[in-house]
Amino acid sequence: MLFTNRSLRFLLIAKYALILITALFISISVMPVFAQQDVSCYHCHTQVVTQFRNNIHYQMGFNCADCHGGHEEPNTSVISANVMSGNFTGKPTRDNITNVCSKCHVREASDYKQSIHWEQIKKGHPEAATCTDCHGIHEIRTIKDPKSPSNHQNSPATCAKCHSNKEMMSAWYYGIKTDRMDTYKESFHWKALRNGYSVVATCADCHNNHITKSHNDPTSSTYTENLPKTCGKVNCHQDTKFDAKIAAGLVHDKESIHTGELVFNKTNMDPLLRPYYLGPFDLAYWIALFFKILTTGVIGLFTGMVILDFLSRFKLQKRW
Amino acid sequence: MTKLKLLEVSETEGRTDNAVGKVYFKRFTLNQLAEHWAMIGTFMLLVVTGMPVKFPDSWWSPVIINLVGGFEMRTQLHHAAGIGMVLLGIYHVTYHLFIDREPLLERKVWPTLKDAKDFWQTVLFYFGRAEHPKYGRYSWKEKFDYWGAFWGMVMLCVTGLIMMFPFVAMDYIPYAYVHLATIVHTDEALLATLFIFIVHWWNVHYSPEVFPMSKAWITGNLSEEQMKHEHPLEYEEVMRQMRKDENS
Repeated sequence: MLFTNRSLRFLLIAKYALILITALFISISVMPVFAQQDVSCYHCHTQVVTQFRNNIHYQMGFNCADCHGGHEEPNTSVISANVMSGNFTGKPTRDNITNVCSKCHVREASDYKQSIHWEQIKKGHPEAATCTDCHGIHEIRTIKDPKSPSNHQNSPATCAKCHSNKEMMSAWYYGIKTDRMDTYKESFHWKALRNGYSVVATCADCHNNHITKSHNDPTSSTYTENLPKTCGKVNCHQDTKFDAKIAAGLVHDKESIHTGELVFNKTNMDPLLRPYYLGPFDLAYWIALFFKILTTGVIGLFTGMVILDFLSRFKLQKRW
Repeated sequence: MTKLKLLEVSETEGRTDNAVGKVYFKRFTLNQLAEHWAMIGTFMLLVVTGMPVKFPDSWWSPVIINLVGGFEMRTQLHHAAGIGMVLLGIYHVTYHLFIDREPLLERKVWPTLKDAKDFWQTVLFYFGRAEHPKYGRYSWKEKFDYWGAFWGMVMLCVTGLIMMFPFVAMDYIPYAYVHLATIVHTDEALLATLFIFIVHWWNVHYSPEVFPMSKAWITGNLSEEQMKHEHPLEYEEVMRQMRKDENS
């Protein structure tokens, strides 16, 4: 018999020995890698470096030292910077992040420096958006990557991160409304975008991605006089004639579609805009009200009838 | 005498089952049935392609839009179905105004005082305080269905056209009304959808009297029983008419 008790036991021991030896070999052969990374950033900043591996810069051959300063160790892991060397800057402060990026992205940085975000940072509100807030910190992806927060599809959510944050908006920048995302969601742009149709405007298309300015600034793309040009961009509403009032639209008008009452809130409306939005005799308001009452009334009445009909069937009435 | 066309009685011929000798009452002509089928087709397509845009944040919205083939396809389907429904409406009005010879004012679809009374009697009946009202050719529910659809189609067509050509519309109406059109369009659409799915389907489909469904929408006929039950006044009139015809 080949498989006696004894030979079975021997086989078992041999198997364990084999596994142990293999494990030993693997650990020995891997050890130098760890040893190499011991001096690297990975040793402590594991998570950051893991994120950095998804970074387009990493894939292009940049490393930690390119942003954080310090001396790059040759012949070690790509991602190591010698903390001891002189020009190591560590974590840049929020108002310094632009300087880091502008080393290469000159045009983008100079565009950004015209924006209201940068203006606010200079005024001492370092929480205002800077490069990393929209593009990611260590996990910077190209804007074409659907996972990038700057991707066309993700742009509304990225802006809403701050602009829907009531505490943030009210604490620092008085006068910025926090319903920007909600009001955008009422527009056809969002309805199409949400359903995978990406050839529609998101935040950055109208407000500009880097030169984001207040709509009160005459040089802003969202300044009333400039709106026809902004809406009429190539590939957007090209060949459509806008007047500035039409282009002002109701995309972000709180006194409007947001509450389901377009145009319809008579009380809070700018008296100058009122005839424009409501028409003569506030007609738009009354029409909207009429349809609201009609819809709820008819559905309420007839659903009530159906329910009554249903309940009456328990009473064994003579139905005909 | 023109009325006879509407009150046609047809006997089933050459059938071996127990339907032989049964009398069927012509409820709808083939023309009316075809109109209703076309209506069902376009309406359902419009609901399916329209509601995801009315409720873009719901979980089913992208699901449906992917099913119909993407957002652009959705828009095109919606427009096509809308145009189809408008054409159907135009056909309906033209046919019943100019081709159907029945005098306009004698038609049975016009709302009458009896309908208001019937409505109230129905409410009382549901509370056990009255007899079930006796209906003629069309009950108040059916008349409301018809005129509701009529009104809805006009509203949805007008607002739909404004939404389709907003900048053309803006040459004639203030900007506010273009936005108003979107509200009216979606409101009316929601009303129509809920009305059909809840009220209409209850009356012709779920209600224990007709469950699983009233087959009149397929065959166009009503059995004698159904006729006595649902349209007793019409039944009596048909019988009177027939007796008169036999005697003459």
